[in-house]
Amino acid sequence: MKALIVDDERLARNELRRLLAVHPDIEIVGEAVDVEDALEKVAALKPGLILLDVQMPGADGFSLLERLEPPLPAVIFTTAYDEFAVKAFEFNALDYLLKPVDPNRLVAALEKLRTREAAAPAADGSTGPALRLALEDKVFVREGDRCWFVPVKNIRLLESEGNYTRLYFDDQKPQLFRSLTAMEERLDPRNFFRANRKQVINLTWVEGIEPWFSGGLLVKLKGGPKVELSRRQAQDFRERMSL
Amino acid sequence: MTADPEAKLARAKDRLYVLCQVAGWGGLLGIQLFFERLSERQRMDGLHDASVITMVVLLGWLLSHYARPLVTRWGWKQLGWTALVPRVLGASIVLSLLWTLIGFGYIYWVVCEAWTSKFSPLFAMSLTAINGIVTFVAWFCLYFVYHTFERLRQMQVERLHLAASVKEAELRALKSQVNPHFLFNSLNSLRALIDEDAPRARESVTRLANMLRYSLQSGQLETVAFEEELRIVEDYLALEQIRHENRLRVRWELAQEGDLRHVPVPPMLLQTLVENAVKYGISPRREGGEIAISARVEGAALHLRVTNPGDLTGPANASAARAGSSTGVGLRNASDRLKLLFGDHATLTLLAEPAGCVTADVYIPLNSPAR
Repeated sequence: MKALIVDDERLARNELRRLLAVHPDIEIVGEAVDVEDALEKVAALKPGLILLDVQMPGADGFSLLERLEPPLPAVIFTTAYDEFAVKAFEFNALDYLLKPVDPNRLVAALEKLRTREAAAPAADGSTGPALRLALEDKVFVREGDRCWFVPVKNIRLLESEGNYTRLYFDDQKPQLFRSLTAMEERLDPRNFFRANRKQVINLTWVEGIEPWFSGGLLVKLKGGPKVELSRRQAQDFRERMSL
Repeated sequence: MTADPEAKLARAKDRLYVLCQVAGWGGLLGIQLFFERLSERQRMDGLHDASVITMVVLLGWLLSHYARPLVTRWGWKQLGWTALVPRVLGASIVLSLLWTLIGFGYIYWVVCEAWTSKFSPLFAMSLTAINGIVTFVAWFCLYFVYHTFERLRQMQVERLHLAASVKEAELRALKSQVNPHFLFNSLNSLRALIDEDAPRARESVTRLANMLRYSLQSGQLETVAFEEELRIVEDYLALEQIRHENRLRVRWELAQEGDLRHVPVPPMLLQTLVENAVKYGISPRREGGEIAISARVEGAALHLRVTNPGDLTGPANASAARAGSSTGVGLRNASDRLKLLFGDHATLTLLAEPAGCVTADVYIPLNSPAR
């Protein structure tokens, strides 16, 4: 697996290199010193794994995830001591390593990664960025101190809010720094449907459909809000559902 | 209506005051009427007597009610016993005289009641006045006893608050001793340095040990010699330079006066300023920057100055704010400690100058013995 190391400290990068040397299946294809650098390197090298420092000058490790085009490569965070970040990781069951890195912890993290890769051989770096997101792919969202890796299949509804998109999943609805149009292009039209100008719904979450004013439809989503469909959209929707 | 606990307490106190007034004067009125019934004098009809007594008691009530704001305005609640006793006596005499004069004046001049008593008017008035003095002294006693207890209770609450804030300050001081972020990052760099540059790694272990020992021990000291603090700052910067390499540049401007080395300073003070400078001036900047540290004697004070690139509008990015979940705690701690040690003689100020830089200035008195 191709790995990219992102850390602003040269010594910290060297240390990770040395620790990874005993894992021949991890090939370090590059190093980046901050988020801007990492964005370029990810685009050029398409790593399957990023070892990502949280504290970096300019923007932190989380903002790299926010700005990367999904599907995201696997990520292992590294941090010296950051209560906030560690909390965020626990919340998401993301993997993180505390510096100085314990080699045994690194082995465990990589092992977890390998089993996950074996189960879902999707998001390898080889997939082009223009590709649609599979239901198993994950989207990274951050709001305040909390962050989520949301599987696409869990997203019930996407709502446009200017340049942002509000995602509805589980009992959360954080904002994603992407326009709804940009998100829609990445979603599989077999699962996601543009209900109206502001909303895209996940068809697998549709619970009930009611007739609505002037030939429109009212779609109820499981555990979520109701969405109105105009007549034109309703026509499309009926065709899609009857297929 | 309002949820403000202060306002709620004030309203409760007002209610208590009204209740006490009603109970006290009402009780007095009841007793007077009761004895009036018992005495079978029957000079006139009972209703007339009762109304006269009621009027007189109500007048006393009014007088005491208007005396209350004066007590507050004259600050009697803050006085001690010796000062209070003559004042209460005087006030009671004045109030009682007023009460007597207004009462007798109204009944015998305005209403023109006939004088039927066997005593002379002057004797009757004196008797009434003495009665009134006793009544008002009792009123003041009750009033001040209540306020004494109230003050005791308030003092207890304040003492609890004080104890809590002292504890908090101690905790904060303990917390500021070792910055875990710095510690673990340094250890991580050290691990890498062992293979890369063993002699430098060895040196760094010593420096880190110095720092840890100093920060553990200095917690018990009020002041240390400036040169000791300086050595620790040098160790700290050397360790940070391993991490940040050429991103961190340091310019020292130490006055060459011999006495500078022995000036007593609070431990970890300059260290806190420098750590802050690295956190906000170097860490968030990709290109890094220069930290200038100067120390010199100015008049009767030691002037320390630490300058770093940056601005005061806030942390340069969100990650700095996270790393410093303690945003500003270090400096506030330092400022608190200065105040504790030197009172108003020491100052710590943070300025956004020169352009594009933040400067921390500290003045510590040279001769003022600590505390």
